[in-house]
Amino acid sequence: MASAFRTSALRTAASAFKTCARPALAAPKIAFLKPQPRIAAFHTSKSLSILPPGRQVIEGTINDAAPVPESNPSHGSYHWTFERLVSVGLIPLTIAPFALGSVSPVTDAVLGAAVVIHSYIGFESSIIDYIPGRKHPTAKKVFMWILKGSTVLVLVGLYEFETNDVGITEAVKRVWKA
Amino acid sequence: MSASILSRTALRASSSVVRPTAVRTLASVATSQSAPAEKKANIKKFEIYRWNPDTPEKKPFMQTYELDLNQTGPMVLDALIRLKNEVDPTLTFRRSCREGICGSCAMNIQGSNTLACLCRIDTSSSAPVKIYPLPHTYIVKDLVPDLTQFYKQYKSIKPYLQRKTATEDGKENRQSIADRKKLDGLYECILCACCATSCPSYWWNSSDYLGPAVLLQSYRWIADSRDEFKAERKMALENEMSLYRCHTIMNCAKTCPKGLNPGQAIANVNPLTSPYL
Amino acid sequence: MKRTGIQRDVLALYRLCLREARKKPSDARENFRNFARDEFRAHLDIKKKDFATIEHLLRVGQKKLETYSQPGIKNIFR
Repeated sequence: MASAFRTSALRTAASAFKTCARPALAAPKIAFLKPQPRIAAFHTSKSLSILPPGRQVIEGTINDAAPVPESNPSHGSYHWTFERLVSVGLIPLTIAPFALGSVSPVTDAVLGAAVVIHSYIGFESSIIDYIPGRKHPTAKKVFMWILKGSTVLVLVGLYEFETNDVGITEAVKRVWKA
Repeated sequence: MSASILSRTALRASSSVVRPTAVRTLASVATSQSAPAEKKANIKKFEIYRWNPDTPEKKPFMQTYELDLNQTGPMVLDALIRLKNEVDPTLTFRRSCREGICGSCAMNIQGSNTLACLCRIDTSSSAPVKIYPLPHTYIVKDLVPDLTQFYKQYKSIKPYLQRKTATEDGKENRQSIADRKKLDGLYECILCACCATSCPSYWWNSSDYLGPAVLLQSYRWIADSRDEFKAERKMALENEMSLYRCHTIMNCAKTCPKGLNPGQAIANVNPLTSPYL
Repeated sequence: MKRTGIQRDVLALYRLCLREARKKPSDARENFRNFARDEFRAHLDIKKKDFATIEHLLRVGQKKLETYSQPGIKNIFR
């Protein structure tokens, strides 16, 4: 049974990472039987041209273990738990104002803050993923500061919106009805 | 005179070393040739990634071979071995056990990472079988990837039993059947690197992110009831790169030729998502 | 002359090779030096922009250097 599952899984997997192994795109269709060996051109550059992953950095000699980074749970499990709590908490926060029908500045403020924190963590994660600090330390720092700056800017904007205007929930309501 | 005897024994030794392999190739071909010879040839094409380190300035290319499937074993590895024996001896690939227990012949076949010895040649279509080395690895030659970083990372998780105390009776470390059950689905991993090289997160951050295979092994020791360094092992993963670059893409579980689920093992490291810890 | 990153990498590797050669026994130093020199000379005709090839050769070179810089290795021959 396991093997039956495997073949179907393999087939789905086949489509999953075609990106890495895109076979000769420009190679002409060959007739079924032809004298061999035949040599086709090999293209991968096209599919990888946007932003290829950086080089693999190997530290130390072959026999050394890869270095273990410094442990810090606030970047590890605590960070993960907090992230999930915010994500899960967003669901009731989004539904509550509409379900209850009342617009209170407190729930509005909490919702705004949660959305901003959620997106901050999301963007931070993509920066860590795609701008490796090992290879581009400056670029990573710059992007992190851009992210921090824009997060603060958004927070300030939301504060202004809440205090001097109608607030998120009311705004969504109006847009919805308009 | 003694020298000539020596050289003769040396010759004999070398011939006896060569013979078994020759016998084995003959045997494998002979069994497959026992099929009726007049049967129509069932030609299948194999497109194989070629790159030679002796001429590094020449770009890699795909080379097409043709084989009669009636005279070849059912697996891709059979075809590769036959190609190397009979068509092109320069074709290079790793293989050892030919039964899915050594993990040497991991490669990318028809777009998915798998072991060549466990992958049947697709006979349902006439499309060529495309064989690449494991993606996003440095290539040593043809289908041979450089797994240095993979093994270094494996070493970094200390893949061996660590204890602070001796057992009560001074004998071996024993384990209950229930505790042993927790290692099912973990100990079967053969470190073929199929999952690690299919993981987009690992493609991007292979220098820092440990990858599914190594994390599964790490959890294998965390889950082991005999190991007394669980806290230290978990602490070593507490940073933003080693473990938490896993975004549950689950290519690892899809591709694993042994049917394991490294994604679940990674989730199990975190007490919030683990059924055991 | 301002050098690119990869040029500096190549020069750094060459310098390391010569430095390792100096740690070897005096009668073998020449051999180690010539070995490194020949290895680099063999690929003089590689194009400047062929980064994939140069990086591959750098990796191979590093591995070779790692092997023969072990103190147990006393001499080197082609």
